[in-house]
Amino acid sequence: MRNTVKVFMFELKSILHKKSVMITTLVMCAFFLIATSVPTIMTLFDSKSDTPTETPAVDIGNSGFFLSADSFSETELAAYFGPDMKMFDSEVSLREAVVSGTIDSGFVIQNPTSYKSIVKNKEMYSVSAQMVSSVMQKINTDRNLLAAGIDPAKVDKASIVNITVNEEILGKDANQSFLISYILMFAVYMLVIMYGSFVSTSVAREKDSRTMEILITSTKPSALIVGKVLANGCAGLIQFGVIITAGFIGYFANSANYPTFIQDMLFGGLSLDAIFIFLIFTASGYLLYLFIYASLGSLVSKVEDVGSSVTPVTLLFMVAYLIASLGLNMPNSLMLRIGSFVPFTAILAMPIRYFLTSVPLIELLISLALMIATTWLLAVLSIRIYRLGSLSYGNKLSFVKAIKLLLKEKKV
Amino acid sequence: MILEIKQLNKSFSNKQVLHDVSFTITSGKAMGFLGRNGAGKTTTIRALMDVFKADSGQFILDGKPFVPTDYRVGYLPEERGLYAKEKILDQLIYFSMLRGATKKEAKISAEYWIERFGLTFAKNAKLETLSKGNQQKIQIAQSLLNDPEILILDEPFSGLDPVNSQVLKDVIVESIAKGKLVIFSSHQMNYVEEFCDEIALIENGEIVLNGNLNEIKKEMGNRRLRLAAVGMSADQLKELLLSKITDIGIEHDSHSLIIELLNEKTKHKLLQDCLNCGIDIDLFSGYEPSLNDIFVKKVGAENA
Repeated sequence: MRNTVKVFMFELKSILHKKSVMITTLVMCAFFLIATSVPTIMTLFDSKSDTPTETPAVDIGNSGFFLSADSFSETELAAYFGPDMKMFDSEVSLREAVVSGTIDSGFVIQNPTSYKSIVKNKEMYSVSAQMVSSVMQKINTDRNLLAAGIDPAKVDKASIVNITVNEEILGKDANQSFLISYILMFAVYMLVIMYGSFVSTSVAREKDSRTMEILITSTKPSALIVGKVLANGCAGLIQFGVIITAGFIGYFANSANYPTFIQDMLFGGLSLDAIFIFLIFTASGYLLYLFIYASLGSLVSKVEDVGSSVTPVTLLFMVAYLIASLGLNMPNSLMLRIGSFVPFTAILAMPIRYFLTSVPLIELLISLALMIATTWLLAVLSIRIYRLGSLSYGNKLSFVKAIKLLLKEKKV
Repeated sequence: MILEIKQLNKSFSNKQVLHDVSFTITSGKAMGFLGRNGAGKTTTIRALMDVFKADSGQFILDGKPFVPTDYRVGYLPEERGLYAKEKILDQLIYFSMLRGATKKEAKISAEYWIERFGLTFAKNAKLETLSKGNQQKIQIAQSLLNDPEILILDEPFSGLDPVNSQVLKDVIVESIAKGKLVIFSSHQMNYVEEFCDEIALIENGEIVLNGNLNEIKKEMGNRRLRLAAVGMSADQLKELLLSKITDIGIEHDSHSLIIELLNEKTKHKLLQDCLNCGIDIDLFSGYEPSLNDIFVKKVGAENA
């Protein structure tokens, strides 16, 4: 135990003194401070336009129109798109304007019920064409109402009925917890991938540089691997803690400029129990993965082989991430429920489920017990694999082969 | 302390590399564990240090099974390695603490050995910034931390220049004088000859020679003499002796002929025969083989 603490202190100091860690932390802190200040920066730009301008009923953006003789009059369209709408005298000149980039999109209104849209490159979420369709529908409806002797203004007035909704949420509001769930899930993903890679490289480097023989003859392998895993785990939490603190400082300094719905999405669903569940599942899942990464690092002889050795566990963790991301949109799905019990996926799936839905206490306890038991089992296994792999130089051992060797050793 | 290695066997991938290896190391005496590359020295030492388990055999220290972690053992592995990117003082303190020292003791011990090896100027430098020879010295220093009772050095002289070899020899002699149990392996006989009290010679995983070096030398030099003549080459002298004198065996090294007395032949009779043949004797003395001669004789000249 005392030696575990010694290994922990040495490794932690070594990681935190790494230039790459220091620079990444500073860059990420700066990024979060700037990112959280975006609403304030936007307000500064918005406040410059003090003079009120007449805005059209429908903002069609930088679009142009050519009206054929038997469609609408310019006045009819201007009632919706405003007097400044760009008109062209032929389809050719409209097309040229689109090609040259003077306007973003052009509309040739062929008759009251059909038009042609001309764009240079079609964007995924362009709404200009939908707006033109809606306006044309409205003009046609009004014409038909007038032909039937009905005043369109009266119909408009009769159509305005406001329905008041009083929603009572007994469980949790997925809308409120979505953003914070996503941010935390991504943070945990980065944490495991980054520090998993750190710990496996660190073990492989000791083997590559042949320091391992001195280490394993100086103390027990359990002290070495547990100390190393805890140090890497702790370094990860410190680094992410600093970055998240920078994010909080940025947010609270600028919170006055955040729209209410974003504030709700960020912190609306955040309660003490949710934070507790998140921390406990993240901590044990994070350790679980770090132990796997450490044992995989001890199976290779050269640092450059670490990448291929850890690929299976990285893929496994990506599956966990995928299940959790899909679960964000379908928090009650069977997939997320199952994922929240499997220790390898529960690290992300259970906190997501807890943030977005109501999870019975018994399910939380079962999932947590499974996770802790698996972490403990993998810790024991990784110590034995580490001891086995520590002196097998040459060809890299696979995880499965290492376990077979361990079983064989036990039988003997 | 007496450490007995008994009937040690070890196989790798069905190939047996150690065959009933047995020898004894006594504290206060320098034990040289000698053999060619690949003879089984490192495997024996690794099994002794519990780096891996032997298939069979025992390590007995003063009558009890030897467990390395129960003693202060200084170990220099054959494959050297330390943290390249860590400061020298920091990593020596770390290794010392892992072996049970407090931070204060560890610092004193680390600084002592850094100074002893003349590397005080580099104590806060990263290991990778040092020359290979200086890195080697730091690796030796790590094995000497915490004043070990038992010192196990695998090929300690390889990679050291003559000046540093002398520093290391002094350290080993000093440890032996303090009554510590010291074993070192080597394939460089000339480096270890002058301070080996005992030797164990291993070849193809078997101990082929074991015991007190002086006794071995005496035994192997028994009934052997050195002979050289004025104005004659070794070959000319050999030819003359073979034609005129009986009951002798003749070998030679770079210094002189080495004459073995066979059957009832005596020193006096040989001297008489030489004088009768008119040989102008330049050298006539007793022969004591060097460690290298012993090694070559046992392992085979073609393999040495």
